[in-house]
Amino acid sequence: MIRKLLVANRGEIAVRIIRACREMGIETVAVYSEADREALHAKLADEAVCIGPASLSDSYLSMERIISATIVTGAQAIHPGFGFLSENAKFASLCEKCNIIFIGPKAEIIERLGNKQLARETMQKAGVPVIPGSDRAVFDYRDGLHEAEKIGYPIMIKAALGGGGKGMRLSGSKEDFEKNFRIAQAEAKQCFGDDAMYLEHYIKGPRHVEFQILADSYGNVVHLGERDCSIQRKHQKLIEEAPCCALSPKQRMKMGQTAVRAAKAAGYINAGTIEFLLEPSGAFYFMEMNTRIQVEHPITEWITGIDLIKEQIRIAAGEKLTFSQNDIRISGHAIEMRINAEKPEEEFRPCPGTITGLHLPGGKGIRIDSAIYSGYRVPPFYDSMIAKISVWAKTREEAIRKARSALGEVIIEGVDTNVDYQYGILEEPDYQNGNVDINYIENHF
Amino acid sequence: MNLDHVFKKTAKEMYHTGINPSVPDDLLCKCKKCGGIVLIDDVRSSGYICPKCGGYFRMSAYERIKRVADEGTFLEWDRNLVGTDPLQFEGYEAKLAATRLRTHMKEAVITGRCRIGGRQTVLCVMDGRFFMASMGEAVGEKITRAVERATKLKLPVIIFVCSGGARMQEGMLSLMQMAKTSAAIKRHSEAGLLYISVLTDPTTGGVMASFAMLGDIILAEPGALAGFAGQRVIEQTIHQKLPKGFQRAEFLQEHGFVDRIVKREEMKQVLTDLLLLHHAGEENIQENCLGFKAKSNELANSNLNDSRKELIQQGETRADQKKETACKAQKLFHTKSAWERVQLAREQGRSISSDYIKELFPLFYELHGDRAGTDDPAVIAGIAMFQNEPVTIIAQEKGKNTKEQIAHNFGMCQPGGYRKVKRLLAEAEKFKRPVVCFVDTPGAYCGIEAEEQGQGEAIATSISDMSALSVPVLSIIIGEGGSGGALALATANEVWMLENAMYSILSPEGFASILWKDSHRAKEAAACMKLTAEDLLKLGVIEKVFAEEEKLPAGLPKLTAEISKEIGSFLQKYERIKPEQVKEMRYERFRKMGKLQL
Repeated sequence: MIRKLLVANRGEIAVRIIRACREMGIETVAVYSEADREALHAKLADEAVCIGPASLSDSYLSMERIISATIVTGAQAIHPGFGFLSENAKFASLCEKCNIIFIGPKAEIIERLGNKQLARETMQKAGVPVIPGSDRAVFDYRDGLHEAEKIGYPIMIKAALGGGGKGMRLSGSKEDFEKNFRIAQAEAKQCFGDDAMYLEHYIKGPRHVEFQILADSYGNVVHLGERDCSIQRKHQKLIEEAPCCALSPKQRMKMGQTAVRAAKAAGYINAGTIEFLLEPSGAFYFMEMNTRIQVEHPITEWITGIDLIKEQIRIAAGEKLTFSQNDIRISGHAIEMRINAEKPEEEFRPCPGTITGLHLPGGKGIRIDSAIYSGYRVPPFYDSMIAKISVWAKTREEAIRKARSALGEVIIEGVDTNVDYQYGILEEPDYQNGNVDINYIENHF
Repeated sequence: MNLDHVFKKTAKEMYHTGINPSVPDDLLCKCKKCGGIVLIDDVRSSGYICPKCGGYFRMSAYERIKRVADEGTFLEWDRNLVGTDPLQFEGYEAKLAATRLRTHMKEAVITGRCRIGGRQTVLCVMDGRFFMASMGEAVGEKITRAVERATKLKLPVIIFVCSGGARMQEGMLSLMQMAKTSAAIKRHSEAGLLYISVLTDPTTGGVMASFAMLGDIILAEPGALAGFAGQRVIEQTIHQKLPKGFQRAEFLQEHGFVDRIVKREEMKQVLTDLLLLHHAGEENIQENCLGFKAKSNELANSNLNDSRKELIQQGETRADQKKETACKAQKLFHTKSAWERVQLAREQGRSISSDYIKELFPLFYELHGDRAGTDDPAVIAGIAMFQNEPVTIIAQEKGKNTKEQIAHNFGMCQPGGYRKVKRLLAEAEKFKRPVVCFVDTPGAYCGIEAEEQGQGEAIATSISDMSALSVPVLSIIIGEGGSGGALALATANEVWMLENAMYSILSPEGFASILWKDSHRAKEAAACMKLTAEDLLKLGVIEKVFAEEEKLPAGLPKLTAEISKEIGSFLQKYERIKPEQVKEMRYERFRKMGKLQL
C-alpha cells in the first residue's frame, strides 16, 4: 500500500481525500498557493507545501512544482481530485516517468477519452450508442454546413477539446449555423488553443444521466448505478440525485451494462463516469467519459455504501476490487446540493469574502463536504463552490424533504450564497414530481 | 479561528510498498532567463523557447537548419573536415574526441546548401555545444569554403553566428581564420552577392570581429548577446559595472549594428522575404523565378484594397486626359501665398514619409543603423518592392504627434542619419536597386554632438556618394526641404515636389535672421526666397509638381495613386539607360545649374 500521498488540489475535495487517506493510514501532503495559506486542506494534512502564488498556472496547474513537492516530501502517489490536473494526460505521463503513482487512469487513456472524436470512435466500435454527429473534425463552417445537413437540425456545435460549456453553440437551422459556428470556434480557439470543431444532433429535452464505474487492473469492471444531473445552469450542475427516477430497473441494467462495456472498450482503470443523454423515449446516447472522481460522487457513496476515494487509492495501488457487480445493492435515494459563494440575483457573480458566522446542518442521513470554517476567507482566485450538502433517505420524496430541511438550517454569514436559490428549486412542483430535463433551470427560473 | 497545529496527524500503518519516486535526468531543465523549471519536452516542442517567460534556449545546428531550410533540401558540405592540433595542446585531442561523441558533430559549424522559401542559398550554422562554437582552423576553413562555393555558384550566404570567439587551443592559426573568412566574404560581396548574418546567443570575440559583422544585412535573435570583448574583461579593465542590456541584440540595434531583431518563429519568413527582395538564389532555377514574379504580383495586389485600385485606375485615365500634371498644378499656384504654403508644409497632421511608404510599397523591409555606432530615427530606410522590382527607400521621418516627433527628432537628421543613407546607397549600388527618397526635414540637426560627429562631413559624403551612383535616384519632397539636410537626400536624377511642399536654402526664419537680423520677418522672407514648388519648377531645380487637390492626409490615396504611376514611368525610363549614362545625366543635371558664361 501507499505510504504517503500528495493531494494536488484544494478546497473540499482535498479535504475529502485527506480524510480518506487518514482512515487508511496513509500520510498526506497538501499543496497550497500563497492565497490558500489558511485553507483547511493545508491545515488538515500531515504536511503542507506552498507551491507558488495565487495564480493557477503558477500553483495548482504547475506540473513541475507539484512533481517537485512530491519528490521533496517523499510522497509516492498523487491524487489529483477533480478539475486542475485531474484529466491532464501530460501530467499523468509525467508522474509515470517519475515513478509516482497517479491516482487515475493511464495517460494514454486520459488522452484518448479527453478527445471527443477519439472517444466517440472508441464507443461506436464497442457498440455504445452515440449521438449522430460528424465523423471527423470540422474546421470550416462550409464543411460544417454540409455535415449538418446529413446529421439533421438542431445541431450542437462543440469544440473537439472542449468541456464545461466553453466553445459550444446550438444552431436551430442552416440560417443561423454560420454565426454560431464562428462564435463557438472563436471560443474554442481562445479556451483550448484548438479550433477543431465537432457537430452533433441536438436532442430535445433529455436528462443528463451518468453511470459511475470502477475498474481495477485485473479487468474487473463494475458500475455503481447512475446519477441524474439534469439540474444544471449553463452546463454547471446545481443539484444531483441518485438514482434517476426516470429509470426502470430494466433500463438501469441495460444502461449499466453499456457503461461497463464502454469502460472495458476504453481499457479503463480506476474510477470513471460515463455520461449519457437520456431521451424521454428511453433512448440514450453516450456523451463523454470523465476520467476522474466527480464532484457529485457522495450521492453514489450514499446509495451503494462504497467509499469511492478509498477504492480509487486501492485500485491505483494495484489491489483487486473486493466486490463484483452482483454485490452492488442500490438502496434509498440521495440528493446533493452544491453551495456556491455567489450572488444569484447578480447573474451568479462570485462573492469571495470572509465567513463571519457559520452553522451547517447535521443528523441522520446528512453529509457535509466543505472546507470552510468560521473566520475563513474565501479567496477570489478559484472556483466559488464552498460546500456540498448531500442527504440520503429511503425514498425520493423523503430525500427532498430532508434536503429542504437541511438547506433551511444553513447559516453562512459574510459571503452571499445560492442556498435560497437551491431551496427554491426543491420547492418547485416540477422538480418534486421528477419532471426535469437539462433545460429545467432555463425553463423554470 | 486559528487552525494551526490543532489537527491530529495520521496514524501510520506499517505496511507499504517500496516505491521511490524520482525525476529522471532528461525530464526538466532550467530556463536561464527566468530561472523557472520547465519540461524539456515543452522546450523542444516550442522551438527552444521557454514556455514560461518566452526566453530563448540555445539550439543545436541541425535543429536550426530543420527550422529554416525547406524540408529535405539541406545538403551538407565538408561534413568530415577537421583541423589539426597545431599547438599540440595538451588534452585538446581528447576533449575534441569527447565533444564529437557527445554532439555527433565533427566541428562547431555545419555548412551546406539548401532552399529557403524555394530559393537556393548557402547556409552555415554554428553550434554552441561544440567548444562554444569557437573558430579554429576547421571552422574557418568550412566557412571559407562555403562562401567560396557560394561565390562560384552565385548564391547568397546566410550564416547563423554563435561563437565564443577564436579557439584558444589552436593559437595564432585561429586568429588567422578571421582574415581568411573576411577575405572570402569580401570577394563574395564584390561579386554582387547577398550575405545575411544572423547573430544568436552568444556571438563574441574574433567571430564578432570578422564575418558576423560583415553581413549586407545583419539580423539578431531577441536578447542575443553579441559583442567583441567579454563583459567580465570590460568590467575588470574599466572598473565599472556594465549597464543592463549591454551587448544584447537590442543594444546593438540601437547602436546601428543590427538591422532587425527577428523572433524564431518569424525567422524563416524574414529570410524568405529578404532573399526575394534581393532576387537572390534564383539564377539557376527558372521555375522559381516565375514563382517569384507571381508571388510579388500577388503580394502587390493583395495589399491594395479595391478602392485604391480604383483610384489608381482613375488616376491613369485622368493622366491620359491631361498629360501635363505640372500644368494642372500651375493653375492652383496662385491661390496661396508662399508663407501659407510654408505653414501647410509644416502642419502637424500632414502626411509623413511612412504614410507614403505604406501607400506606395506593399512590401517594405526597414533596415537599421549606420554600422558606425548609431541608428538615427529621423531616417527610415530599407528595401521595398515596387511593381515586382526591389527599390531602396530612404526617407526623412517627422512623426505624427508630439511623442512620435520627439522620437524621430522632428525629422532633423544627425550625422549618423546621413551615414545610414551612405550605407544604404552603397547597398543600392551593389544590388543595382534604384533609389527613391522622401524628403521632409526642417534641416539637419544642429547641436554640439552633431558637430563633434561631423555633421558637415556626413552631409557632404551623402551628397557625393549619391552623385556617383550608377542606379537612378528619385527624390520627392513631401513637406519641408530644409537646406543641405534635404539636399543630402536629393542629389537625384529627378526631384519632384508636392504643391504645398517647400525647398529652400534655409528656413525663412533663418533667412530673415541672417539678412535682416529679425527672425519675425519670416513671412516676408518666404515671399522672396522662391521656395515654393512653382518657383523651383521655373528655376529648373525640380522636374515635377503634384497637385494637392484635397488636403492631406485625406487626399493621400489619390495623390499616391498619381505618384505611383509617375514612379513607374520614371523607373521604366531609366531601365533603358546604361548605368554610366545614368550617372552622367545626374552630373549634368547639377552641372547646368548656375552654368554661367563670361
